[in-house]
Amino acid sequence: MYRGKNITKIRELLDKKVITKEEVFEKATSLAHYFQDEYNSFVTILDKVKIKDSDSLLSGIPYALKDNFSTRGILTTASSNILKDYVPVYDATVYKKLKKAGATLVGKTVLDELAMGGTGTTAHTGVVRNPWDKERMIGGSSAGSAACVALGIVPFAIGSDTGDSVRKPAGFGGIVGFKPTYGRISRYGLFAFASSLDHVAICSRNVRDAALVTDILKGQDPLDMVTLKSENVKYVDTLNDDIKGKKLFYIKEVCGKDFYKDTNDLVLKKVITTFHDMLDKCRDKGFIIEEVSIDMDLLTALYPAYMCISCAEATSNNANLTGIQFGPRGVGNTIEEIIFNARTEGFSELIKRRFVLGSYILQKENQEKLYLNACRVRRLIVDKITELFEEYDGMIAPCSGGVAPTFDSRSEKLSARYLILENHMVMGNFGGFPSITIPYTMIDKLPVGLNITGRVKDDALILNIAQKIEELTGLKDIYAKVGEIDV
Amino acid sequence: MIDKEKLEEYASKLMFKMKDEEYKTLQEEFEIILKQMELIGKIPNIEKVEPMTFPFKNTDVNLREDEILDYLTVGEVLENTKHQIDDQVKVPKVVDEDV
Amino acid sequence: MYKVVIGLEVHCELKTKSKNFSSAPNTFSTFPNSNVAAVDLGLPGILPVVNKEACRKALLTAMALNCQNPDEVIFDRKNYFYPDLPKGYQITQVTKPMGVNGYLDVLVGDKIKRVKIHQLHLEEDTASLEHHPKYSLIDYNRSGIPLIEIVTEPCIESGEEAVAFLEDLRDVFLFLGVSEAKSNYGQMRCDVNISLMEEGSTKLGTKVEMKNINAFNNVKVAIEYEIKRQSALLDKGEKIIQETRRIAEDGKTYSMREKVDAIDYKYFIEPNIPSTPLRHEYLEELRSSLPELKLDRYLKYINKYNIGKSDAKVLAKVRSISDYFEEVLSYGSDVSLAVNFVTTSILSTLNKLEISVDELFISPKMLSEVIEYVYQGKISLDHGKKILYKAIEEKIDPIELIKKENLKQINDEDELLELIKKVMDDNLEQVRQYIEEDNKHVINFFIGQTMKVSNRQANPNKSLELIKCELERRKTDGK
Repeated sequence: MYRGKNITKIRELLDKKVITKEEVFEKATSLAHYFQDEYNSFVTILDKVKIKDSDSLLSGIPYALKDNFSTRGILTTASSNILKDYVPVYDATVYKKLKKAGATLVGKTVLDELAMGGTGTTAHTGVVRNPWDKERMIGGSSAGSAACVALGIVPFAIGSDTGDSVRKPAGFGGIVGFKPTYGRISRYGLFAFASSLDHVAICSRNVRDAALVTDILKGQDPLDMVTLKSENVKYVDTLNDDIKGKKLFYIKEVCGKDFYKDTNDLVLKKVITTFHDMLDKCRDKGFIIEEVSIDMDLLTALYPAYMCISCAEATSNNANLTGIQFGPRGVGNTIEEIIFNARTEGFSELIKRRFVLGSYILQKENQEKLYLNACRVRRLIVDKITELFEEYDGMIAPCSGGVAPTFDSRSEKLSARYLILENHMVMGNFGGFPSITIPYTMIDKLPVGLNITGRVKDDALILNIAQKIEELTGLKDIYAKVGEIDV
Repeated sequence: MIDKEKLEEYASKLMFKMKDEEYKTLQEEFEIILKQMELIGKIPNIEKVEPMTFPFKNTDVNLREDEILDYLTVGEVLENTKHQIDDQVKVPKVVDEDV
Repeated sequence: MYKVVIGLEVHCELKTKSKNFSSAPNTFSTFPNSNVAAVDLGLPGILPVVNKEACRKALLTAMALNCQNPDEVIFDRKNYFYPDLPKGYQITQVTKPMGVNGYLDVLVGDKIKRVKIHQLHLEEDTASLEHHPKYSLIDYNRSGIPLIEIVTEPCIESGEEAVAFLEDLRDVFLFLGVSEAKSNYGQMRCDVNISLMEEGSTKLGTKVEMKNINAFNNVKVAIEYEIKRQSALLDKGEKIIQETRRIAEDGKTYSMREKVDAIDYKYFIEPNIPSTPLRHEYLEELRSSLPELKLDRYLKYINKYNIGKSDAKVLAKVRSISDYFEEVLSYGSDVSLAVNFVTTSILSTLNKLEISVDELFISPKMLSEVIEYVYQGKISLDHGKKILYKAIEEKIDPIELIKKENLKQINDEDELLELIKKVMDDNLEQVRQYIEEDNKHVINFFIGQTMKVSNRQANPNKSLELIKCELERRKTDGK
């Protein structure tokens, strides 16, 4: 009755008084508990909620929040030992807005430690499993947020997206992942990973719900200087606009048919074929879709440039984690010792490696060659895409070259081909472009997503296009129907 | 290859220690990323490109009016540390007075 | 002999209502951790939001120091670990400081010394540490208070020049109203870099750094001690060690530690503060609001108004006094009378009542009216001053007071002579002393009596002349 329902359906049940808000919350938390051991979506599941009266469409709608959003009085760990006992004293703007709208927080979701990872395997509370296949990753870093939506526990969840941290796991989880334009949603209270790339993003099971939640969250926030002036338009109202004649491009070097004709990877082949089949369906619907080519050197530079910029910013952003004014205090007799011990014990290996890398990149003698060159590549790429957006309304591509990887798979990060196809969504963060992932096909019973990215500030159009393509996929509102629970 | 001592020094400047085997992984990672960055350095005229910090030019920026608004109570300031005396955060004696 | 090369780094807290990047109060509090926002504590998820007024004050100061301003406001992060720095980085300005390449002309003795300003930037203060024998305590109240740092070129050559610069710089802050600049509250702090070089050499000597000196006099003491210490070492052919020293209470400096490799602060542009363009019109508007500064006023007073140097110094020192004085002049008052009244009556009243000139009952307009009465000889200077004190005490317009007390000055010589004759007839013994004993002291006695009899309205200068004549006349007649 409740599980797997989208926002509109739950709204209907509530409005018709078939079910009360309290009952909805209870059902959501019981689902959360039921799936917790197997899939590990949550760091914290709440047991009670104070529902604010509101006439918002989200009133009484349960949701989950990534555990790197500051929630006053509720444990917020960023899935790291260094914050394992941290209870914030202030609310993130996003949380405040959702509270005001009357949405009910079911739990705080697991992420890759400090949001620095793409696997969902590095949280201090253990790995998150993919609802479609427990032996596979859901991807990250917003692993728990994607998983709990894919399990039908909540209709939507909030995540953060610095490289592709919502859109990637959304792709592997068969759900919608939407990252609006940089500054569309306030980051105040989101634990910073790489500030110039960090976005608040939304997991939902259909495009309309993503638009609806964005409508609630968007707007200029005096506490976040990068936020954009509020628009009067409601995205949910423009979803059905006619898209005839809208022009999309895909990058040959990312997903061109010919580009992969020699591959032995059958799944990759299937991804590319089904993707192009989907493009044909889109063309039938009235879209104009063309192939463009971009300099390979620029595309291969994407991932290393992303690594440099994100690690550099991250090492600075996390320098507040010393155990002095909050977090577990390290033992020791001197101030250096206690900070050393807190940080040595608090961060996992991966985090430390990234910090060292970031710090090295920022060293005076390396800045020019590493940090600044990475920032230069960022400009070249963003300029190129922006130039294409003068002619095209959006860019389209598969989210990745395959289905969700198994836990034991070793990624072939080093080959240039994978480097591009697995990481192209970073472009959305480089330029702050609105970018959305929706499921478009199933391969071996596992969902695969495609991504649409558009002009800065043109969130409405991207949602509009995504909604039209969603109609063609037949995969709207899907979730992993696992478990023997009926609520 | 960046030698281990150098990496140890970087880690120590970041106020943490790493294990020996972790440095090995780190050295490998460094090798990969530095090689990739070397390729970036070869992009023609890269040095003439203005480095990008902000995703796009934001024309909606407002500086804050000079007003006192929300701030924390003393209790909130100290809520996340057990180590306190006289409403202040207690730490081992700080010897070196300046940085 | 060695040439002394000194560069100063001056930190000054700006006076604003709220902090630089948070809306917590920027006020001195004796209660620890009572003025702290999440931003100032560096809690996870916080974001800086730039205080417009702090930017305005920093830009204004940069303009007053003849600096070039940037075309946009951006900030950088300075990364280092220290317990007084909760974020693990300080937000400061490296890429585009609020001002570069400026100067401040400073009066050292009788000469003007141009101190070149390398840059002025806006940043945030750190938390404060209180040291106890076995532990230290952190108070975050100071964390995030807007701070400007002014870095001079190494162009200062003596302790005297350094102190003159610091004092004049503080007066700039006070004239602009950007800071209270109280060094005893640590609102203004100074780092000194000093090196000695052989006379005639072009090679700079080894630099010694002295940090965080609050009192200006200590700056002078420290510099003079260092000059002596370093000269002695160089005379002996020894090397100066590059190090950081501190000044102790005995006026000597002691080594804190040798300077190892400079810390790499890994600066990068603060990504949470988007660039804010500084429009030309805004900067021009700001520039036009700059008040005339102390030295310019001083030079104007001595050159244009022919005021003596010591009076000119006193009048130009405090902006409110100087503004008051200039407003008095703007009503056309006589300059020397205005100088006289302001430097004596007004200043002594302010001192006595411990008030500022803005709180004074006598407005510049009122003072100018009193001065006009004196200037036209309607009342005496002496009277004028007495009236002023009374007006302040009773909070009555001084002109009304003059009218009420029917004050005027007797200038008519016939009238005066009649008075004087009467006084002399009543005091024949004193007249006799003058005639027979040639006792000149009785002249003062007669002046006193004349003033008394005339209810202090007799014109004292004229009376003096007339008394002398009358006494001489009687002496001649008596023979």
